[in-house]
Amino acid sequence: MELMALLGVYSAVFFTLAIYTILYRENPWYRFAESVFLGLAVGYQVALDMKYVRDQWAGQWSSSSIMMVGYVLAILISLLWYFRFTKQYFYLYRWPLAIIVGTGIGAALRTVIFAQFTTQIIAQAKLNLWVPTDLMKTFNNIMLFIMVPCVVLYFWFTGSYRDSGPMKIIDKVARYTMMAGFGAGFGYTILTRYSMFIGRAQYLLGITPNPPEAVPAFIIFALIMLATMIGYDLMQRNKKPST
Amino acid sequence: MSSFFDKFENIDRRWIYLLSWIFVLFPLIFPLGLPVPINKESQAWFKAINDIPNGSVIVFSPMFGTSGMPELFPMTLATMHQLWSKNVKIIVVSFWAEGPLVFQQLLNQMNPTAAPYNKVYGVDWIDLGYIPGSEPAMRAFGEDMKKAVAKDYKENKNLSEFPIMQNINKASDVSLVISIETGTPGLTEWLRQWQEPFRTPIIVGCIGVSAPGMAPFLQSGQLGALLPGLTSSAEYELLLNRKGLAIAGVDAVSMSHILVVILVVLGNVGYFVNRGKKK
Repeated sequence: MELMALLGVYSAVFFTLAIYTILYRENPWYRFAESVFLGLAVGYQVALDMKYVRDQWAGQWSSSSIMMVGYVLAILISLLWYFRFTKQYFYLYRWPLAIIVGTGIGAALRTVIFAQFTTQIIAQAKLNLWVPTDLMKTFNNIMLFIMVPCVVLYFWFTGSYRDSGPMKIIDKVARYTMMAGFGAGFGYTILTRYSMFIGRAQYLLGITPNPPEAVPAFIIFALIMLATMIGYDLMQRNKKPST
Repeated sequence: MSSFFDKFENIDRRWIYLLSWIFVLFPLIFPLGLPVPINKESQAWFKAINDIPNGSVIVFSPMFGTSGMPELFPMTLATMHQLWSKNVKIIVVSFWAEGPLVFQQLLNQMNPTAAPYNKVYGVDWIDLGYIPGSEPAMRAFGEDMKKAVAKDYKENKNLSEFPIMQNINKASDVSLVISIETGTPGLTEWLRQWQEPFRTPIIVGCIGVSAPGMAPFLQSGQLGALLPGLTSSAEYELLLNRKGLAIAGVDAVSMSHILVVILVVLGNVGYFVNRGKKK
């Protein structure tokens, strides 16, 4: 393996383990890795954004004088972001913020009512409550038919309405529905968190297609980090009785 | 006896982390070969890609960063393998800054120009890189691709120079969007800016934690297929008969879930025993 590639493998192993040292407790290894990661992420994002702005200029905005004026205007407005760091001209920072928030909300509002609201209601209304070829689907659809309106009503009616006869039952069904939903969410969250860990563990163990050179790096860095952290803890413990 | 059950409720988190390391590393070092049943999600995903007609144009979007790679990269590799094995035109674009970085990792592991794929850059596929601007940018890209992206990411040339982009300029020219994603922008933005106004079909591969939130869109038919998490990736790899990192990790997934179930049961046993004693 080339020296640079080997350096890359050792760096990856070092930063992976340094981040995981937080599982033991807060420590300088973790702090260092966290700062490097944040710096790299921000630097990478800025570089890509700058590339996009440059490509836009070369690709189309430099083609006519009117477009050039528009481009320069956009750049000047974007520079107003930096007034966030001054107290005197802080208000100027609100202009680009307003444009970003305005375009974002405007773009979303155009279709949100159809994409996330009416289509869902139509789908609920169209539920087929009897699927003779698939009894599991029949069961699921009946459950959906009962559970979805119960949860909607749970949030609709609050206060004394909840104490009325039918609402008591709806209230209970809604809470069980939400608990089932939270349970599914928790299960999937565990899956995601462990999958992240498994992915890194596969790298540390050099499982194909990851580089096998990661294994010695894993052993070396793990020993160094464990030794420094446990050693530091033991030193602190020994110091305490004397003070 | 009471103190024994007390411990169940107050296990030091570092012991749990140590157990996690053991439960994950052991099956990776000594594979157990636990069975992997193939569920309908991975079958639907396989079918959705398999059914793309020859000559169609699709948008493939890696909408995740390096942090999502352990869970999403295996399905990204497998999906691109299936896509490149077909006769479809692929536009790769991301609205996540790290998307191009992830796709470069993919290119390091599989070469589309070599056998068995033999695809030509600019003719069969193109990499447009990252477009900043989140949801409004997705809309702009859907309305006019050549305005939203001035140059391609790989060769830094104008889009009009590539044969693949000759007859494609808007979302309605695209037969399918395949988005592999971890968050925002993601599915809801695709639905609002592509699926609803242009009626472009969408299928999504996501991290497990996002799956419950996406299920209603699958139920309503707005989403063609959903591939959630590493286990579904493993099933998909089996369907493709192309074993990768997901299959290698699925034993560890099972073992880690067994650990969590044991810990939840122990915590509950401690809770109920102590509650009974207090009463």
